[in-house]
Amino acid sequence: MKVGLFVTCLVDLMRPSIGFASLKLLESAGCEVIVPTRQTCCGQPGYNSGDRKAAQDLARKLIAEFAGCDYIVVPSGSCGGMIRAHYPELLAECPELTAAVAALARKTYELTDFLVNVARTTSVPGQFSGSVTYHDSCSGLREMGVKTQPRFLLSKVAGLTIREMDQPEECCGFGGTFAVKYGEISTRIADLKCEDVQSARADALVLGDLGCMLNIEGRLRRRGDTNTRVLHVAEVLAGMTDPIQDLDRRTAD
Amino acid sequence: MQVTSNQFKKSASRKLADPKVQKALRNAKGKLVVARSRSIRELDNFEEIREAAAQIRDLGLLHMDVLLEQWEKKAVAAGTIVHWAETPQQVNELVIEIARKHDVRKIIKSKSMLGEETNLNHALEAAGLDVRETDLGEYIIQQFGETPSHIIAPAVHKSKDDIADLFAEKHGRPRLNDISALTHEAREVLRPHFLDADMGISGANFLIAETGSTMIVTNEGNGRMTTTMPRVHVAVTGIEKVVPTLEDVALLLRLLTRSATGQSISNYLSFTTGPKRSGDKDGPGEFHVIIVDAGRTQVLASEIREALRCIRCGACMNHCPVYQNIGGHAYGWVYPGPIGSILTPALVGIENALDLPNASTLCNQCGVVCPVKIPLPDLMRKLRERQVTEKLRPWAERFGLRLWAWTAARPAVYGFLTGIAARVGKWIGGAGGLLHKLPAAGSEWTSGRDFPAPRGKTFRQLYARHRKGARR
Amino acid sequence: MSARENILARIREANGGKERANDPGTILARLDARVRGPLPTMEWETQTRFRERCIAMMSTIGEAESIVEVPRAVASYLKEKNLPTSGACWPEFAALDWAGAGLAVEARPSRGDDKLGITGAFCALAENGTLMLLSGEDTYATTSLLPENHVAVVPASRIVRTMEDAWDLLRRERGSLPRQVNFVSGPSRTADIEMTLVLGAHGPFRVHVIVVGV
Repeated sequence: MKVGLFVTCLVDLMRPSIGFASLKLLESAGCEVIVPTRQTCCGQPGYNSGDRKAAQDLARKLIAEFAGCDYIVVPSGSCGGMIRAHYPELLAECPELTAAVAALARKTYELTDFLVNVARTTSVPGQFSGSVTYHDSCSGLREMGVKTQPRFLLSKVAGLTIREMDQPEECCGFGGTFAVKYGEISTRIADLKCEDVQSARADALVLGDLGCMLNIEGRLRRRGDTNTRVLHVAEVLAGMTDPIQDLDRRTAD
Repeated sequence: MQVTSNQFKKSASRKLADPKVQKALRNAKGKLVVARSRSIRELDNFEEIREAAAQIRDLGLLHMDVLLEQWEKKAVAAGTIVHWAETPQQVNELVIEIARKHDVRKIIKSKSMLGEETNLNHALEAAGLDVRETDLGEYIIQQFGETPSHIIAPAVHKSKDDIADLFAEKHGRPRLNDISALTHEAREVLRPHFLDADMGISGANFLIAETGSTMIVTNEGNGRMTTTMPRVHVAVTGIEKVVPTLEDVALLLRLLTRSATGQSISNYLSFTTGPKRSGDKDGPGEFHVIIVDAGRTQVLASEIREALRCIRCGACMNHCPVYQNIGGHAYGWVYPGPIGSILTPALVGIENALDLPNASTLCNQCGVVCPVKIPLPDLMRKLRERQVTEKLRPWAERFGLRLWAWTAARPAVYGFLTGIAARVGKWIGGAGGLLHKLPAAGSEWTSGRDFPAPRGKTFRQLYARHRKGARR
Repeated sequence: MSARENILARIREANGGKERANDPGTILARLDARVRGPLPTMEWETQTRFRERCIAMMSTIGEAESIVEVPRAVASYLKEKNLPTSGACWPEFAALDWAGAGLAVEARPSRGDDKLGITGAFCALAENGTLMLLSGEDTYATTSLLPENHVAVVPASRIVRTMEDAWDLLRRERGSLPRQVNFVSGPSRTADIEMTLVLGAHGPFRVHVIVVGV
């Protein structure tokens, strides 16, 4: 099983540990992982802003980069959704690509969905002594069908308990460019999510999308919460939730 | 209604800061979302019914001409006088003409969102006619001199105390403190008007082609009164409301009332076919129906035609995180929330509502609950695309996106620039790992949130190192 | 060109490229076919469901073994609720012994000041506890609308399951629709003030359904 790992532009820039955690999980599950080194962005920022041309160029690039893989795994419901749910429409004007796009969409998976439903993973390397609450990202939930998979895998993490918030499926207010175009509304929506997170009284908030993570963490810290950890589900499952300083050492191994 | 949608951001800001509006919105959200969810569970095959509903509405759009002609044939045979109006202006002119012809002085109205589109009340009042809204919520906002903030619950933004003060002032009676008492006072005050109005104006939820009927979905009884008591009844409705059969309506109604208020059925479903029959002791002597285009054919011809499937339930706005926090008035026209973000630019001009399709996280909470499966986020995206092709986006935004795309298509350049950003970002973030202030567009983020800092190196940099290490 | 012609032309143009049978026969055939769409599973028994749903929609239910018992059933309801005992009824009930039950009921259309309106119904729908009322020469629309209290007399045999069933019944028995068909499911209500439900908006405050026969 040749699995192509698309880490996403946010992970690349902001949280490489999520990329390495995904790599570790996929390798532990017995996959041969390819990481195309020229990968950058799936084109979603342009697509959602109405600039089809900009998005199409990047989509074409991605299709070419991952053409040789049996699967593409993405530690993000948002970018995964872009490829699976939206690439076919985005490239509808390019009939020469229709078959390739359809093939790509079919083999694109969000990380936890892949681990549970394709790799059939039932154990994970991570350990975590504490409680977590899980936020369902909108695109993960509604475009990629991610709901039970992360919870199933988290339940396999030794020492971890899950405490659900009241409304895990409520949007966090990120919405990509929405967060910087309508900052006030975005902040208010994030604020309500933070209240819900805090009412769950968990040690950590865990999510599958870095966009949501940055948004909610940003608001938590501004509200004065320096205690609640904010972690990507890949990091927790891979047991890579240690402080940043370890990152360089770990990845040089 | 006047269009103020380009003041969206400022309006939204005011609403976010208004504790009364916030309280009212929280109250409404809790009730409507839970009620809908509970009532939908009564339908064990909800998705199947929903798919059928979407198909019925699409049939209505695809065969609209044939269905409207069929509807008209049946309606006229039953004695209905049918008018067609291309513009909002024509609607108002037709209604005034009908009123003049019949020596109408006093008009009662049951809800019509289309009437809001055309500013009907204003035109009628300017023509010297006495117009009274009778739906309690519409009556309240008419007395306030305001516009509805929600298509189902127009006065949802008002508190009981606001209304108590209003009634004490307008009705000249002692101030009441109880919601039930306020409602019954409105009943008493409006009852004489039902009995002596010359003309009733209503909307129509659906036009049924099979029978030439209009129908309305109500709870209060004012709709029945408006369509039965006065000697002339005028119904105003859009071309897209036509459905083929009574069976189709029965199916749509199962979803409409549940999606709107969580009711398995609304109190009154009234199907009107023509005026008073010979022998009838009640009913209007004349029944007029005005079929209205007002931009709808343009939408039908466009890439967002699915928006015309809308059956005006309000579920999308009830479930929308943006609407839930800013309310309906910020959207600046008749239809708020997700459907409003699409219909407003579609009907009043895309340049007059630039923010609306952009002010969404595309979370699709709306699309999941829409009873006729309108792909709301996709339609919003299509309007965003139209804004780009019509060069309506700010230059800086267009440039920024093109720069991003250009760079991301060139991995070496991209890697170089992101490497710098990761390093600089980490440095600015300091020991706390947070950036408290970002420049330019970033300030929209940092005015309310911190921005977690990057970690110093990009994944691609670290992975290259990782690969090198592994090869040794 | 009239507004009508312009609008129809624009509709046709808008749909022009769309795949559809050019001959309107297909959609017209669908109008005649009157196919029912998918219905939810409804495992309930009709009579039980009707009564249960009437109560859920805030109507009250009474029973009468036969039509002759109706005045007494109405009187008993009015007495229990301490409600006025005079009002108007549909002509089909004119011959019943209202006076004998202590009620002053006239067979005439409702006036603005009536406190009680007594109607029959074309049929009733069990699915949601709904009355189906047709306007007509002897079935005045105002009787179920203006008075504060509405009493509806419904033979048990006229309770059908769904609106789809009701339409079929109407087509079979009447052929076409009267001026107005009203489906009434309980007392009038509104939640326009702070989303709080209040019974008795512009229509009746109370609906009492008397089911006649088994």
